[in-house]
Amino acid sequence: MSAQKKKAFQIEAFKHRVVVDPKYAEKTWKILEHAIHEIYNHNASGLSFEELYRNAYNMVLHKFGEKLYSGLVTTMTSHLKAISSSIEAAQGGLFLDELNRKWAEHNKAMQMIRDILMYMDRTFIPNTHKTPVHELGLNLWRDVVIHSSAVQTRLQAILLENVRRERSGEVIDRGLMRSISKMLMDLGPSVYQDDFEKHFLEVSADFYRLESQDFIESCDCGEYLKKAERRLNEEIERVSHYLDAKSEVKITNVVEKEMIENHMHRLVQMENSGLVNMIVDEKYEDLGRMYCLFRRVPNGLVLVRDVMTSYIRDTGKQLVTDPERLKDPVDFVQHLLDLKDKYDKIITSAFSNDKTFQNALNSSFEYFMNLNSRSPEFISLFVDDKLRKGLRGVTEEDVELVLDKVMMLFRYLQEKDVFEKYYKQHLAKRLLSGKTVSEDAERSLIVKLKTECGYQFTSKLEGMFTDMKTSQDTMQGFSARHGADIADGPMLSVQVLTTGSWPTQPITTCNLPAEIRGMCEKFRNYYLGTHTGRRLSWQTNMGTADLKATFGKGQKHELNVSTYQMCVLMLFNNADRLSYKEIEQPTEIPASDLKRCLQSLACVKGKNVLRKEPMSKDIADTDTFLFNDKFTSKFFKVKIGTVAAQRESEPENQETRQRVEEDRKPQIEAAIVRIMKARRVLDHNNIVAEVTKQLQSRFLPNPVVIKKRIESLIEREFLERDKGDRKLYRYLA
Amino acid sequence: MKKEDTVKLISSEGMEFVIDKEAAMVSQTIRNMLTSPGGFAEAEHGVVTFPEINAVILEKICQYFYWSLQYSRGKETDDSLSFVIRGFSFVAESTPDWCSCLRGSVYVVLHCMVAYLQISCVIVLT
Repeated sequence: MSAQKKKAFQIEAFKHRVVVDPKYAEKTWKILEHAIHEIYNHNASGLSFEELYRNAYNMVLHKFGEKLYSGLVTTMTSHLKAISSSIEAAQGGLFLDELNRKWAEHNKAMQMIRDILMYMDRTFIPNTHKTPVHELGLNLWRDVVIHSSAVQTRLQAILLENVRRERSGEVIDRGLMRSISKMLMDLGPSVYQDDFEKHFLEVSADFYRLESQDFIESCDCGEYLKKAERRLNEEIERVSHYLDAKSEVKITNVVEKEMIENHMHRLVQMENSGLVNMIVDEKYEDLGRMYCLFRRVPNGLVLVRDVMTSYIRDTGKQLVTDPERLKDPVDFVQHLLDLKDKYDKIITSAFSNDKTFQNALNSSFEYFMNLNSRSPEFISLFVDDKLRKGLRGVTEEDVELVLDKVMMLFRYLQEKDVFEKYYKQHLAKRLLSGKTVSEDAERSLIVKLKTECGYQFTSKLEGMFTDMKTSQDTMQGFSARHGADIADGPMLSVQVLTTGSWPTQPITTCNLPAEIRGMCEKFRNYYLGTHTGRRLSWQTNMGTADLKATFGKGQKHELNVSTYQMCVLMLFNNADRLSYKEIEQPTEIPASDLKRCLQSLACVKGKNVLRKEPMSKDIADTDTFLFNDKFTSKFFKVKIGTVAAQRESEPENQETRQRVEEDRKPQIEAAIVRIMKARRVLDHNNIVAEVTKQLQSRFLPNPVVIKKRIESLIEREFLERDKGDRKLYRYLA
Repeated sequence: MKKEDTVKLISSEGMEFVIDKEAAMVSQTIRNMLTSPGGFAEAEHGVVTFPEINAVILEKICQYFYWSLQYSRGKETDDSLSFVIRGFSFVAESTPDWCSCLRGSVYVVLHCMVAYLQISCVIVLT
């Protein structure tokens, strides 16, 4: 054995003894032809595989492969022609059944034939590049049976008819459909597509076009969408049961186009049931369905988003320009928050938190909130209300929730510097009157503002808190030092405010009563003793006082009043009746403030510790005031102060506006200088753009104002105009 | 060995070899004979007759079947010609003087195994 192994490797064919017979090929072929007949006639049992295999093997080996192959083709073709006729003969419903049965039989026959002709399949066929047996079987079936004109048209018609019947609710034989469908696929993707799928899609498009037309006339939006969804799901299910998976996306495209895309606008705008109605009535399910369906078609969501956006903008605009609503700022802001909550809920539960919708909502809010120039003031008033009383007894988490929501609205403001101004004013009042519900909540909000706008925004606010704390320490030191002397005088509590941090107040005149004056001097001396180089001035328009008063029948009450009111009331210690002038002179309080203060003392029911003659609502120079002996109140402590923050009157509003405008000028100039220093040379439009970009986190600068500032800077020789181009500016170092 | 698990191979002289079906189906041809649908005689009766293969050769082929099964159990075999040759050599050497009993060259036998019985994936063409 080993010796033979070393020989050069050659293999001789295992050929069988073959009688040299000229008719050899013909005889052998006949045996095989007969076998093929028997196989097709279901008579194959009893045939010897080995014999047939051997004969085919020998034919190929002895170079008769061509004869074998062409014989095979001829034989199969004639059998298939007979099969085709028998299928054509089948009546009505039995056609599909017959086709399916014959197909199964053909596949079985193919397998048997291929097995016995395997040697040819593996040697002769690859060599001559002929179609392998299995594929040959498929091709012949396709050409002779499926594409015979009678079978082809009938097959297509029956398949489509079945689909139509199923769509109208009838039950069909899905198993049979699946087998036929699979057969078409086995014959080749182009067969499935050309013989079935193409027509299926066309017919379906027609079907859905008609059906959608019918539905849209008879259903409201919600119902229509339900039907569309149902049809879509049906088609998907149909494909999964008896069509090729690749058909799914094609048929769903058809349904989407016919049922949704073609009627998009009509659905969204449908009166009484369209998108806007769904939003108003909070129909989350319907909205969710609309979102899912419209998402499937090009520009579907764009349409929904646009309609929603214009609705929000319109209703928002109405809200901010409605004079009724604007009467109560706190209610107004609450309304905005409720609105935001409503839309947030819609976007989360129905629009699957789609970012583009969130963005559209944000831009809409930004748009309409800034239509009303008093939005910043109102938001500050809302916060003021909450921090004064609204958040009393609320848990820490809920406080955070409310503040976060407020921050959300704050972000929409374009004029954040206006908000800052009001917030400072309102905070000052809260701090000085000691009327804040929770210092933690105050600080928490400051932190949020700092995170949002940076350190600059909140540094002064924080300074206010610091002043309050420092004042407490100062008072402790003062009592410790002067404890004995001041024990039997009025109790003094002083807050020392650093000028830069607190809202600027005009200096007003006010003569304090003698009892107070002495105490105040003592404090002033104490303070200046420990802090040299500082100047103190009493802010009489911001103080409060608690007075113990005894009335006619001996009722004692503690009155909480403003400093001005205290000065006025103390005068009544020495007289029961005083004219307006007699009050104005000694106190020297400015007229408008005095009138307001007298009004709250004499004209408010339940708080009228003074009586006025005549009993009119307004204060006139000629009025007389009397101590109201008959004053009664349920409470021991009566609050009469006018220190709470209120919505500004028109003239006050104008004034604040002006101050804001003044403050903006230097900010704009600083921005211009910064930019020009970096860029050296820049044209007008670009400067405006850059300045806007730099300042937009605080406010939106007016291009006209920017222009004026540039001119002012040119005058002050920070910049110069280019000699050649008037639109170009240069930085002057 | 149970009857259902076995198959009878009959040589040209009529000598019968009863072997496990699993072993016999190492040959793709025999596998097809036994599993092809349609009720061929071989599958019906579990008997395959080889009028062209004599007993001496058929015996070695059967031995090869078992060698192949044993060797490939749990291992990756490459089904290549060299594997067949190795197996066949092993089997042939197990009987001293086997070659002298051979009618025709060893290589013809190999061709029979490989091409006719489809024992390996590699078909050698003539």
